Amino acid sequence: MVLRAEDIHKSYGETAVLKGISFEVGRGETKVICGPSGAGKSTLLRCLNLLTRPDRGCVWLEDVELTSPSVNINEMRQKIGFVFQEFNLFNHLTALDNVMIGLTRVKKMPKNEAKRIAEEKLLTVHITEDLWNKYPAQLSGGQKQRVAIARALAMDPVIILYDEPTSALDPHLIGEVLEVMKELARKKITGLVVTHEIGFALSVADEIMFMYDGRILERGPPKEVVFNPKYEETARFFKRISELYGVRR
Amino acid sequence: MFWAYVPYMLRGVVWTFALVGGGLGLGFFIGLPIAIGQVYGSRVVKSLLDIYVWFFRGVPLLVLLFLFYWGVFPALGHKLPSLEASIIVLGLRSGAYQSQIFRGAIESVGEGQMIAARSLGMSRVSAIIHIILPQALRIAIPGWTNEYAIMLKDSAICFALGVLEILQRTRYVVIATGEALLPYVTAGFLFIFLTYGGTKVFNIIYEKTRIPGLVWRM
Repeated sequence: MVLRAEDIHKSYGETAVLKGISFEVGRGETKVICGPSGAGKSTLLRCLNLLTRPDRGCVWLEDVELTSPSVNINEMRQKIGFVFQEFNLFNHLTALDNVMIGLTRVKKMPKNEAKRIAEEKLLTVHITEDLWNKYPAQLSGGQKQRVAIARALAMDPVIILYDEPTSALDPHLIGEVLEVMKELARKKITGLVVTHEIGFALSVADEIMFMYDGRILERGPPKEVVFNPKYEETARFFKRISELYGVRR
Repeated sequence: MFWAYVPYMLRGVVWTFALVGGGLGLGFFIGLPIAIGQVYGSRVVKSLLDIYVWFFRGVPLLVLLFLFYWGVFPALGHKLPSLEASIIVLGLRSGAYQSQIFRGAIESVGEGQMIAARSLGMSRVSAIIHIILPQALRIAIPGWTNEYAIMLKDSAICFALGVLEILQRTRYVVIATGEALLPYVTAGFLFIFLTYGGTKVFNIIYEKTRIPGLVWRM
């Protein structure tokens, strides 16, 4: 087991956002979290690497309990890749430096070694050499998100968390990012993906978890959950999503 | 008659620069930590820093100069020479103003940058040093240029402590020659020229350090 969440609760003031979430992600698996906005998906991801501290419940990464007070969270976060909806590339660094900085500043790796790894990861996400010295503001959204994936990959994480990685992209740029994510999934890079891209889930996910009102309402093999759901809420959600976005494969 | 004194007046530029350079430099090393404390510090830290900023922005420069030169420094047992005292007061005061420039700059970097840095495993301190400040300092340059222009002209007030900067020397020239118009016009032009030249230099630095393609949303 790479990641295990156990009974995660989180409230903001009076509002309970997460009401007891439990699941696990095995090595090499790709799992997808879907659900209407406000269901708590982003909060859940942030609770997993403790960007937000859950009120109750445990998170385990491999055999370490992250939520235990004695854990050095900075050390553990190196093992959890995080890809943001808004990319969050470092504005003042080139694409190459964005991928290198975690290696040099956090892992204290020598520069030339970090550079070699960064170049390799950029090529993995199909960012070619002509773009390596560009700054984020000079890249398209799709390129930015792929650099962000390379930045996460470079740290050699045991799992990558994706928080709606294609939601901020122009429609014609979504494909290139999904393609990279599918390739990683097929290479058995463990991933947990919050997304509305049902096509992605159907083609590579091992499981879909449908979140509704702070709980995982329904989970199972993608085809079953999407086409043959048990609950009306699930059916309604996927119907609306496929009307809105279509099913991209 | 007056022209013989021009070299004497020009030497005041060195003193003015000592005031401005010293004041801005000291203000930088006071203002930047204050800004960091105001953005990332605890509530107690923030309110202590607020009091500092509130005091130095609230009291007129001339009052501060007299207060520290005649009051605070002697009370501490160190009667400082007027130049040193002036630089320290200008710096303490500029620190308050600069902290607000840097605070605005840090806040406009955007929360996502810090979150991304932390999720790579960077500590807060490391993220501030390597991710936030390199961007915030760039954003702060125009505001800082403005601070230079204001400080340059405020430095003239230090004549009141007898610092031999441009205005003080001009007054001596007026007394020596019995002529007021030409010396004061010259002094005025000197300040205009220094303001213009200095802001030009900062603008060049701003352009040179700009991040390609990026437009800050402020």
